[in-house]
Amino acid sequence: MTQLRIPVQHRVRPRLVVAQAAPRRRPRPAAAVLVAPYVLLLLVGGIIPTGYAVVKSLQNESETGFGGLSSFIRVAGDFRFLETFANVALVLCIWLPIMLTIVVVLALLIDASPKRFGASMRFVYYLPGALAGIANFMLWLFLLNPGQSPVDFLWRGFGYTSLSEVAQPANLPFILAAMLMFQGTGTWVVVLCGGLNGIPDALLEAARMDGATAWAIVWNVKLPMLRPWLGYMALLNLAYGFQMFLEPQVLSQVTHGLISPQWTPNQLSFTYAYQILDTPAAAAMSVILLLVTLGLGLLVVQRSRLFQDER
Amino acid sequence: MSRFRVAFAVVTICLLASGCNSVEGAGTAQDATDSGGRITVWVDPPRVPAVNAFQKAFPHIPVEVTTINGNVGSTELQQKFVLFNQADKGWPDAIFFPSNDDIAWATSSKINYARDLSVDLADIISGYPGGVIEQCKIGGQYRCLRNDAAPDVFWYDKVLLAQWGYEPPATWEQYESLSLRIAAEHPGYLTGFLGDAYAPDRYLWASGCPTNDTSSEKHVRINLADRQCARVRDLLARLLSAGALSSTGIFSPDAAALGRRLVMSPGAVWWGNFLFRDTWKVPAGRITAAKPLRWSSDGEPSTSSEGGGLWGFSRHIKGTQLANIYTFARFVASDPRWQVELSVGLPAFKPLQQPWLDKQRQERYLADFDHAAAAFVYATTIVRPGRDYTRYNTGTVWTYTVTPALTSGKPFATAWRAFSDRLSREARSFGYTVEP
Repeated sequence: MTQLRIPVQHRVRPRLVVAQAAPRRRPRPAAAVLVAPYVLLLLVGGIIPTGYAVVKSLQNESETGFGGLSSFIRVAGDFRFLETFANVALVLCIWLPIMLTIVVVLALLIDASPKRFGASMRFVYYLPGALAGIANFMLWLFLLNPGQSPVDFLWRGFGYTSLSEVAQPANLPFILAAMLMFQGTGTWVVVLCGGLNGIPDALLEAARMDGATAWAIVWNVKLPMLRPWLGYMALLNLAYGFQMFLEPQVLSQVTHGLISPQWTPNQLSFTYAYQILDTPAAAAMSVILLLVTLGLGLLVVQRSRLFQDER
Repeated sequence: MSRFRVAFAVVTICLLASGCNSVEGAGTAQDATDSGGRITVWVDPPRVPAVNAFQKAFPHIPVEVTTINGNVGSTELQQKFVLFNQADKGWPDAIFFPSNDDIAWATSSKINYARDLSVDLADIISGYPGGVIEQCKIGGQYRCLRNDAAPDVFWYDKVLLAQWGYEPPATWEQYESLSLRIAAEHPGYLTGFLGDAYAPDRYLWASGCPTNDTSSEKHVRINLADRQCARVRDLLARLLSAGALSSTGIFSPDAAALGRRLVMSPGAVWWGNFLFRDTWKVPAGRITAAKPLRWSSDGEPSTSSEGGGLWGFSRHIKGTQLANIYTFARFVASDPRWQVELSVGLPAFKPLQQPWLDKQRQERYLADFDHAAAAFVYATTIVRPGRDYTRYNTGTVWTYTVTPALTSGKPFATAWRAFSDRLSREARSFGYTVEP
């Protein structure tokens, strides 16, 4: 196979964020107006709640004064603490690699297809993602319920005849991974197609003229240039995965309690807030969750060189 | 720097202030309001007819009704009350608690929702048999009303047992041996359900196994290695391995088909109408009830209870609104238009029990009605003490440990270990000191 060498000056990467403010130029009022709604939302939905959680987590159990790290110790000592992280990690381990692979393959296929056919396929792949949140969940309730499900043959193949058998806790990581994949794949295919469209035609043309096969172009040009997009995708989905709440919570209800009400870290935090009525411990759990997600996020950003500006 | 100090002082004062709310009593809250008459009522689906009957009986009282999730062991309700307390508004004026354990948080010092009814509804409270209303007496005050008495009796298919030539069992030991015979001789028929949140009440409480035995607000006795737990554990293990019991729960949609193959089972009084007749559609004239099973080694006969719903009423109202809510309370607890005409369970309010039984007799659903009716009334008098309502929910722990273990084919011993381990830890996470 021809080893493709791309001249350094052609290694242009489609950038997600152009953060290079021109030096020594005062920000224009228009920029401030454009940024203001984001800053407002960031304050209301991000910074203020985070600050509140940090302050709350440092209170003592009866919320009468400063408690140091006692609420962190309480929540980390909970018998479900590690278990909830292990549950989420398992879902992520199943979900992310499979989804990344499928998304990349589908996006490359669309990119390689004739324009109109590719566009219609992109729309078809996007459709399941349009069923957001609870609508997607309701659809899955039918899919999972033998007798009602169009994939009933699959459940019967496993020997399952009821929803309780399908949705038993041992199967939950797979079910959740499938749900999340179904919901997310289409959207990410569209995003990656955007990334692929951003690769300059001149570069691909140059590669072809150098004698690169279609495979070599995928492997040596397209994939390396998609790397920050894949990093972006991993980043957002990691965060979503760790914050998982709705899916296991509602599944627990429809199976009449077959799934523990503290299956994910967020559910454990919820239990502390609304059942045990220990708000500082609930806040501590949220802060821990934030730190874990932030740490993993930074790792992904660094590994995928997401915000790196190569020139 | 000084600005930082001021900010720190403000934050500290806010934190201290937020924690300094004094604990109020169980009477009307200091900030109680009066809507001028309109009342808000939250009920689970089976209790909606009670509200409809009330609206018909008292058309001048405007009622806003909300139907809530009736799953036993569901945890979403408490969250709403925490938020109402934070917002200082939003509480329903009356609520039917889907799980009996809900009364534990509804009367806890942090939520403190349910009002003391001891004086204002003294006449109603005196109409309940002692054992039926006892669990509403919390800290010396009556904080709830019992909707229906739900002691466990022994249900069986009279036609099928007669056809097969079996005598209905009177003791747990006889129940075991007959279950094993049925499993062997009539495979596919069942003698019990194990997968619902009431299963620990039905079996463990009936045996006197300590799962929720509180001695104070923060002390509970849980000992699943106790002799009274071991005997029922071994019995269930043998019945399960023989295929006599289903790992499904009574409320599961899958139970509908299985319910029609249920030959006999311990079960609450409300099973007759709610499960056999309305849910499982077993034809009339087949099912009847006998006195509760007893352990032959126990001196006194005793039984457990499954639910027997509780009504709670808000501390946050006064004036006309409060007067109307008391009218509602009296109606749902003691008015025959709900308790006799519509309710599927035996009224907890003693004076209505006979009228309800008379009406049931006319419906001609149960076989041997007088025999069953006598069993119902007798069972209300022998409910075993020592099973208190707690902040942790034993039924929930059961459904996410035992049920999935059995569904996935694990042995009962494994399921029991998981349940035992989790139950104590769950109680501790709610701040209970667990004693064996």
